[in-house]
Amino acid sequence: MTDPADTASLPGLAPEPVSLYVHVPFCVSKCAYCDFYSRAGGEALRKPFVDAALFEAGHWSHYDLLDDVPSLYIGGGTPTLLGEDLVRLVRGLIETARLRPHAEVTVETNPETTDAPLVAALIEAGVNRFSLGVQSFNDDVLRILGRCHDAARAREATRILRDSGAGFSIDLICGVPGQTTASWEATLEEAVRCGARHLSVYPLTVEDGTPLDASVRAGEVPAPDPDDAADMMLAAEVVLTAAGMPRYEVASYAQPGHEARHNLVYWTGGPYLGVGPHAASMLTAEQYRRVAEAEGWALPPETDPPCARARFTREATLEDYMRRPLADPGPVEFLDADEAAREDAMLGLRTTAGITAAQAEAAGAVEALVGLAGQGLVRVIETAEGESRWSTTEQGWLLGNRVFEAVWTAGDSSRS
Amino acid sequence: MTDPTLIRNFSIIAHIDHGKSTLADRVLQLTHTIEDRDMVEQVLDSMDIERERGITIKAQAVRVLYTADDGVEYTLNLIDTPGHVDFTYEVSRSLQACEGALLVVDATQGVEAQTVANAIMAMNAHLEIIPLINKIDLPSADAERVRHEIEEALAIPADEAVLASGKTGEGVRDALEAVVRLVPHPVGDPHAPLKALIFDSFFDAYRGVVALIRVVDGHINAGMKVSLMAAGTVIDVEEVGVRRPAHVPVDRLGVGEVGYLVTGLKDTSLVKVGDTVTLAKHGAVEPLPGYREVKPMVYTGLFPIDGDQYPELRDALDKLRLNDPSVIYEPESSHALGFGFRCGFLGLLHMEIIKERLEREFDLDLLATAPSVEYHVYTTNGEMISIHSPQDMPDPGTVDHIEEPYLKVTILVPPEFVGAIMELTELHRSTFVNMQYLSATTVEMHYEMPLSELIMDFFDQLKSRTRGYASLDYEVTGYRTSKLVKLDVLLAGKPVDALSFIVHKDKAFARGKMLTEKLRGIIPRQMFEVPIQAAIGGKIIARETVRAMRKDVIAKCYGGDISRKRKLLEKQKKGKKRMKQVGTIEVPQEAFMAILKVDD
Repeated sequence: MTDPADTASLPGLAPEPVSLYVHVPFCVSKCAYCDFYSRAGGEALRKPFVDAALFEAGHWSHYDLLDDVPSLYIGGGTPTLLGEDLVRLVRGLIETARLRPHAEVTVETNPETTDAPLVAALIEAGVNRFSLGVQSFNDDVLRILGRCHDAARAREATRILRDSGAGFSIDLICGVPGQTTASWEATLEEAVRCGARHLSVYPLTVEDGTPLDASVRAGEVPAPDPDDAADMMLAAEVVLTAAGMPRYEVASYAQPGHEARHNLVYWTGGPYLGVGPHAASMLTAEQYRRVAEAEGWALPPETDPPCARARFTREATLEDYMRRPLADPGPVEFLDADEAAREDAMLGLRTTAGITAAQAEAAGAVEALVGLAGQGLVRVIETAEGESRWSTTEQGWLLGNRVFEAVWTAGDSSRS
Repeated sequence: MTDPTLIRNFSIIAHIDHGKSTLADRVLQLTHTIEDRDMVEQVLDSMDIERERGITIKAQAVRVLYTADDGVEYTLNLIDTPGHVDFTYEVSRSLQACEGALLVVDATQGVEAQTVANAIMAMNAHLEIIPLINKIDLPSADAERVRHEIEEALAIPADEAVLASGKTGEGVRDALEAVVRLVPHPVGDPHAPLKALIFDSFFDAYRGVVALIRVVDGHINAGMKVSLMAAGTVIDVEEVGVRRPAHVPVDRLGVGEVGYLVTGLKDTSLVKVGDTVTLAKHGAVEPLPGYREVKPMVYTGLFPIDGDQYPELRDALDKLRLNDPSVIYEPESSHALGFGFRCGFLGLLHMEIIKERLEREFDLDLLATAPSVEYHVYTTNGEMISIHSPQDMPDPGTVDHIEEPYLKVTILVPPEFVGAIMELTELHRSTFVNMQYLSATTVEMHYEMPLSELIMDFFDQLKSRTRGYASLDYEVTGYRTSKLVKLDVLLAGKPVDALSFIVHKDKAFARGKMLTEKLRGIIPRQMFEVPIQAAIGGKIIARETVRAMRKDVIAKCYGGDISRKRKLLEKQKKGKKRMKQVGTIEVPQEAFMAILKVDD
């Protein structure tokens, strides 16, 4: 570990602005389907966690990585479980990082920990957007998902957020065993009415090792039916488009101008820095090299084409993280220019904007895209500016993995 | 040369998993043939696959020197044999090279079908059988019960059975004492012309084919011109020696000795198990009895998943055959699967092993079609055609009748499972012959059954329906006429030749229906609907549909997810590579084996 003071005087990094993500790994209880790193309870650890996160963010700021932050996202877990400490975290982060004017500052929350005074305090501290994990407005569905709140509490939370005046998004899950199309449509209608300007719609995935996985394996809960999920994804598109919230990504819908800027960073290859025990970061090769040299991390390999980006994902336990918030970057993945281009193309096709012909070319994916177009999964669209772009079709949204896989592995045959 | 009176040639025979190879290990250690520090488990099973599965595939011979309680040093030749029914003929030849056998029975399992089968083979070879009750260190060992079973089931006196544990080494010395005392020394005529039995062979990259032999009469030494009688091959003996277990050349091998013979031949098929080695000039007139041509019992198509690997598969088969001439193969082409080989094996285990060795040792990805047997098709113009593949079935109009191989099957099972066996055999066109209580805990049941039914998942079913207690042995009794038809499978309206199979007429409808149902579960949903049909002679008898896939998308993909989800996509892609593209349809490998599992 180098003294940050040594590096503070180094020349500024490449101008690519870095977004900031903070992972708050605490929840009231674990949901049946969730495989993210988070701890139920852990009261005693919450304050020290905030200290550690602020320390870590402060450390990165010495590398000038946080001089022009376009978006700050505090996710979880359930950040609002921290209460006053979350306000302290937000204030601390805003003091540490230099946010761009009108930067997006999002806090994730869940119904059971959304209360009006906390929301007001967070807005006061600089938060301008909330993302609320509603998942469903149906009690039966919430029970199967193992959520610790009911539909009434979710409604209450949306009301608090709407009244707060801040913009908010809600998450919904479809394709849940036992969920009917009627109950799904009712949930969608309610979501439209509740004042959210952004909606995320996820078909339920049974992740390995989750309690839901165990229930499905034991035959206690039927496996999610992909056909039902398809119907519900289609219903979401219809209902939300009609409500003035068109899709802009596989799972994301928003009133125009209210797209999640932070998430768009992930889908457009922008750099981001993650703070917390299990946070992921991606930096440009130049940014990473500077950090790695000072920290003694593995340096980008000399490859042809050259390394373009590095992504590293911390894999620390909460306790280890608090003892040594800067211990190591976790596994580092270096992407050369070709891989970065393919990843951008793959992720770009998650969005309705799609990718440019030049991006497709750079990814070596033109042939794959032509094949996908033949299957009706992508098509060429013309933008208002007269630019041709590859974009995913209605069918393509449902069979997205075919698109992503074909584009990501497009280079395989030529490489191996 | 060793004085024959000081030689004991013996084999260890046992049902699979009864601890044969571990006992052999202890014998090698006790006699200092292998020092403890060089010891690995299952020393004689040198193939990875043998060690992993705990089975013996290749016969082995090793010479150990043992100083008995009488103070005399004896030369013991331990001949380790495969235990599985697929290798019955090889085992019989190995036994022919011995005068005695240690019959190993697991003290916790008791007598099983292959215990009986091996014991009977040993009796037929006139061997002195020494019962050995193994694994007596286990808490559930019941030596008394096993002793009783040995006496009841095999009519071998077992009151003096050796009690041993291959694991702890207890009783191993007793076993060797019993071998020295009870196994007769070899008797032969040192002045008669050479007669030696070939009981196995293998290919050495530097020395060519090496045969394992047992000298019966006369002697053999390097430089001799000898003839392999059945093969009609004459060779100059390059070297003879003994295996300890490394090869140690000796001047000559005399009466009763066991060792190796470097033939200098490059073609393993010229060195046949069971053949007799004699002098090229003035040799023996009569060969040793018992030789026969090994014939494959089970046939399957092996196809490279990646069609470009066809030449590699051919090379691999050529190389593998050097060590295992019982594998036969001929090119086969399939509309669905492209170019591959129709291969014949001694049995299902043999088939599995060869496929696995081809994939591991030669880095191939192979697809196997459902195994089949050799059918004799008699045409209306009186011709007989042997067919090994459903695809070779002539037009039904030209067929007079078809014969298929039949077996005599012996099943040993605890009495409470007799009902389960009756049910299972009923499903497999079997005829009950008789049954006999060997003891209060073991019933021996005899059936006649077509071989084609035995390879239809019979063994796995037998194990699962009897919680693993049943054991099975069989022998081919001959061919019988059966009402057989070829059943075709169509995917999206097109016949897939590699999915065709031959089935008894009365079973065709039920199997066709079950198979289409099974395939519906196996063939993943494609982007379009895939009808699956079963047909006999163009008439559709069953139909199922794989509905089109509508949703396959990872919806959540943020910073922390990207690498993980991307790896998932890569894994999916790899999974697809393991599938066979049949037309526009991705068909998993297990689809081609599905017919074997239709009774589940």
